Amino acid sequence: MKLDSQRFHKGDQTKLSNLRKGQKAKVVFLNAQDKALRRRLLDMGITEGVQIKIKKIAPLGDPIDIELRGYELCLRKYDMSLIDVEVIS
Amino acid sequence: MRVALIGNQNSGKTTLFNLLTGTNQKIGNWPGVTIEKKIGIIRGTDFEIVDLPGVYSLSPYSVEEEISRRFLFEEKIDLILNIVDSTSMERSLYLTTQLLELGIPMMIALNMKDIADKRGIHIDLKTLEEKLDTTILSISALKKTNVFNLIQYIKMGDYRKNNYQHIYDHELEDAIESIKPIVNTKHSRFLAVKLIEDDMVFTAYHTDETRKIVSALSKDYLRDMEQVIADERYRYIENIRDEAVTANRSQMTWTDKIDNVLLHRFFAIPIFMVIMFGIYYLAAGPIGSYTTQVVGEYMSMFSDWTRGLLIDFGASSWSVSLVVDGMIAGVGAILSFLPQLAILFLLISLLETTGYMSRIAFFLDRIFQKVGLSGKSLIPFIIGSGCSIPAIMSARTINDETEKRMTIMLTPFIPCSAKLPIITLFAGYFFRNNSGLVSASLYFFAIGVIFLSALIMKKFWFKGKHSSFILQLPDYKVPNLKFIIFDVFEKVKAFIQQAGSIILLASIIVWFLISFSWTLNYGIDPNQSILASIGKVLGWIFYPMLGTYSWGAAVSALQGLVAKEQIIASMAIIAGHSETTSEGTLIFGSSVFSFFTPASAYAFMVFNLFSAPCFGSIGAMNKELGSTRRMWQAVLFQTGIAWVLAVIVYQIGHLIEVIL
Repeated sequence: MKLDSQRFHKGDQTKLSNLRKGQKAKVVFLNAQDKALRRRLLDMGITEGVQIKIKKIAPLGDPIDIELRGYELCLRKYDMSLIDVEVIS
Repeated sequence: MRVALIGNQNSGKTTLFNLLTGTNQKIGNWPGVTIEKKIGIIRGTDFEIVDLPGVYSLSPYSVEEEISRRFLFEEKIDLILNIVDSTSMERSLYLTTQLLELGIPMMIALNMKDIADKRGIHIDLKTLEEKLDTTILSISALKKTNVFNLIQYIKMGDYRKNNYQHIYDHELEDAIESIKPIVNTKHSRFLAVKLIEDDMVFTAYHTDETRKIVSALSKDYLRDMEQVIADERYRYIENIRDEAVTANRSQMTWTDKIDNVLLHRFFAIPIFMVIMFGIYYLAAGPIGSYTTQVVGEYMSMFSDWTRGLLIDFGASSWSVSLVVDGMIAGVGAILSFLPQLAILFLLISLLETTGYMSRIAFFLDRIFQKVGLSGKSLIPFIIGSGCSIPAIMSARTINDETEKRMTIMLTPFIPCSAKLPIITLFAGYFFRNNSGLVSASLYFFAIGVIFLSALIMKKFWFKGKHSSFILQLPDYKVPNLKFIIFDVFEKVKAFIQQAGSIILLASIIVWFLISFSWTLNYGIDPNQSILASIGKVLGWIFYPMLGTYSWGAAVSALQGLVAKEQIIASMAIIAGHSETTSEGTLIFGSSVFSFFTPASAYAFMVFNLFSAPCFGSIGAMNKELGSTRRMWQAVLFQTGIAWVLAVIVYQIGHLIEVIL
């Protein structure tokens, strides 16, 4: 739970699931081991270098709606924890 | 000539398909409305067009996406019509780059240009056309702009015969070129890429030579080739985007504003509950009941009038009884619920077309996850309040096999429109002033049953494992009134057709069974009829939830297998045959059904709502679960749960009644 309250700043490396609403980050690495999931994330445009913004958070804290490549995508926090990012803002 | 219509989920394919063919296929504003390919003829031509389920790539993730991939890869197609969503160009073009690899002539219909314009996204058509070497037409399927031109292009064959450009880096392109002659099919380039990605589906196409090329390649890249290909594709698309698309996308869209309220941290779930409560309260509560009552009165007038007419004609007493007490009583009992069902259909249709449904899946996912389901299970559940059959089929969009199976088995628990007559009838009579509340309570009861069953299933049948939830959130849309009216009309028509065929036939059979004894004597006491003797065999099953042996209730519940509304039709016929003991509605005023108390009424409703669904739904379960054994498992599970719950409800309710 401690990790949740930690705030990440520009240039920090972290997992996508640790970001707060409104923060932007660049994807650095995709850790997903499950082949089907990994493939789907790639297909949805989560490739290395893409910019992601945390757009909306479900009322119960999970899943989270992110904005990338001009559209919105919902992901569960667990899946987001498999995506390493570099914080932009 | 055969045209394949393909694009991302929720990009407006079916809307365009309807325009091109002049048909009215179901549309909605959530990903995965189309789950089966649909074939039509383009207006003014003899060209066949196939509407395929939406996909994000040609590496399928769920069943309905596999249908599209298979069709494109295996069938003979003369032209691909790729529909591209202007508001999310990059993701759309990702599919486009894969489609181009198939080596089939292709045209692009750039849809929702008007919305993109409003958002400040400018697309330079000419540059885009050159970059992709494909004819592109900007259209609006919703506003019908430029669709005529599109047909002309298709008809004249007046589109670019695209020579596909290089999109990957040199090393990859070289590898593709050297694999192509080895595999040598009509989709060589596509297959070459798939082999490099090491896609499981295409392993059979691998030869020693291709394996050598691919393994050399992955040694050079030191990365997963699947990822390399995806990266390269998106890099290529980003380049096109930089040249052809300019966007200043900073302002708050309407969707964001609405979501600030509907997805609010504290208000989202209360708002959702109010909306759902409102829907069922309107349909099953006072307003719905009132319409039913009015139509019911006309029905009984019609029934009396027919009886008089037939007697005047000198018809024999049994034939009058067959028409009035059998056919009209059975079918009429069902038809009086029609206005109420129309209200329900209308409200569900609104939910489906606005874009709210995906939001519900989004914010309830957390809760559903806890019991082993996915937020996506909610889509079948909501459609299921109309009819279980399309609902069970829509579970295909759930990619996780366990979640999908559980959803299919749980969907029939949702009170479908055919169960609405049961609810309205019982609640209206036994809980007069609180009928709306009691009706709504049954829907929440259903949700409770679903959670409970999901927990049981998770514990005993399906081992818990991690699953994902990946859902695109569509923009809100103002529903298309014309389509909604059509949709409601279609469902109402289907209901009437069912009443005029299955219910009519079943009513005649019930009339026969109740009018005759085993020795085929007519005009007997209903208690001596064939129907009664069948019911008496089954009566003990219902004893613990009714507090009495009732053959009438038993045979009626059994007929729920034919169609749930048949329960009411059957009760009406049986009641019509027995003597009236008290004032009140026909059914509960008859000696056969006068035993019902609020407790047994509620219990009987619970049993009929949650026990095995109608044959149609059982068939759909059988198909989607993929095995008869699993289908039986589901049916027995549902009936078992229903029986236990009904007994508990009656015993507790009865205790309260005795104390009071």
